[in-house]
Amino acid sequence: MAAVLVVAYTLVAGRTVGFDLSTFWQVWSNPLWEKFWPIPWGWVLDRHNVLDPLVETFQIAIVSTLIGCGLALPLAFAMSPLTAPNRVVLVVSRSIMNVVRAVPDLFWAKLLVTAVGIGAFAGSWALSVFSLAVMVKLFSETVDGADPRPLEAARAAGGRHMPVVRTGVLPTVLPEYVAYGLYVFELNIRASVVLGLVGAGGIGRVVEAQRQYFRFDRVLGVLVLVFVVVFVIEQVSMAVRKRLV
Amino acid sequence: MIEFRDVSVTYRGGVRALRNVDLTIDDGEFVVVVGLSGAGKSTLLRAMNGLIPATGGSITVGGTEVVGASNAELRDVRSRIGMIFQTFNLVHRTSVMNNVLMGRLAGVPAWRSTLGIWPATDREAAMAALERVGIVEKAYVRASNLSGGQQQRVGIARALAQEPSVMLADEPVAALDPVTSRQVMGDLQRINLDLGITTLVNLHFLDLAREFGRRLVGLREGEVVFDGDIDDVTDETFREIYGRAITVDDLKTADG
Repeated sequence: MAAVLVVAYTLVAGRTVGFDLSTFWQVWSNPLWEKFWPIPWGWVLDRHNVLDPLVETFQIAIVSTLIGCGLALPLAFAMSPLTAPNRVVLVVSRSIMNVVRAVPDLFWAKLLVTAVGIGAFAGSWALSVFSLAVMVKLFSETVDGADPRPLEAARAAGGRHMPVVRTGVLPTVLPEYVAYGLYVFELNIRASVVLGLVGAGGIGRVVEAQRQYFRFDRVLGVLVLVFVVVFVIEQVSMAVRKRLV
Repeated sequence: MIEFRDVSVTYRGGVRALRNVDLTIDDGEFVVVVGLSGAGKSTLLRAMNGLIPATGGSITVGGTEVVGASNAELRDVRSRIGMIFQTFNLVHRTSVMNNVLMGRLAGVPAWRSTLGIWPATDREAAMAALERVGIVEKAYVRASNLSGGQQQRVGIARALAQEPSVMLADEPVAALDPVTSRQVMGDLQRINLDLGITTLVNLHFLDLAREFGRRLVGLREGEVVFDGDIDDVTDETFREIYGRAITVDDLKTADG
């Protein structure tokens, strides 16, 4: 019965927003598709056209991952009652994260573009904030669920706060941290491509430029290359992550 | 010397875990603490190094007052008290060596232990502790790959690495089989005799208490109901402490 209601509501909602299946057919039968073929491999595989910007996209992703995840580690520890040095740090760090999470990613991007101008720098910063938010969300749960007993032993031995956390908890949560870091890197590669479309540099800017010149054959070539690269990175990342946890 | 004077511990819900406990323990003694679950054995031990703050009275360890001590004073006292736990409390994902090095935390600058750059003297002390419990060959094995008895030995080594004057053992053999339990209790006894470390052991098992203890303290509902020589202890004593007859569950090895 519930399934019938869901289907019925979907149809009604679709009609209301103007969803029209016939437009799909119109899209597919558009002669514009011919312009996507053949792929000019000579142009696509030229270093300056595609490979260098791709490297830039990669670099933006790496830098954002390192900055965002690097900050996320101490922040996640500060946010957990298990590992926070005192209540003040706990409350302050949680408030900071609430603000970060409340602001949509695109708004951070806009803010940073206004502050530092369009380009790879703004893109990196926007993605760093994004990485921080994702990493803290994922990693906090790991920290909260960590075994508190070695922490008790470290405190009983007379250690100060940071060494206690470093020796008592870090080895336990580090594999998950690295695994999440690789996952965030995957997200950043794809996000960096998208940001490039709005001017943050890298391969996204190439795609957007070629699109504006109506060179759809080059666009398709670039997208195929990006797909291959992203696919390889994701496979490697998954393999490494499986061995970690 | 350890002195409890009129010590009470009342938890936030109103549970009175320890009531007006008076206890004096001289250096080098080997004390076994027995009592039902919930009688206050764990609380007694943890009050001594401030892991559970006492809500009344005074506890002095080697002249330092623990009740109301500052963080720095607590760390100082804790560095002199080694503690081993029923569930071993090791970091499973790292090596035995890294676990034992945790015992050196009090004497090493924070930046060194945080970065993992331990001085050679501390590594040597850790090795010496592992040697004393007889598992130095496992130094670089991952802690989770060891048996229960071996893990507890690592726990003892970690406590020994502190070069403590007091050793607290909270039901150290509860999770171990009878043979391994005897080995661990034997280790604790040997350490007490060889190194003169004042030792307090919480025990659930009355046969082990009788075999290894020299002084027995019996707790019942947070109060000390027996405190005397192990030779003076009879089945009747245990019955008073427990408030019921002894059953086979109270013995580690039920070989009559």
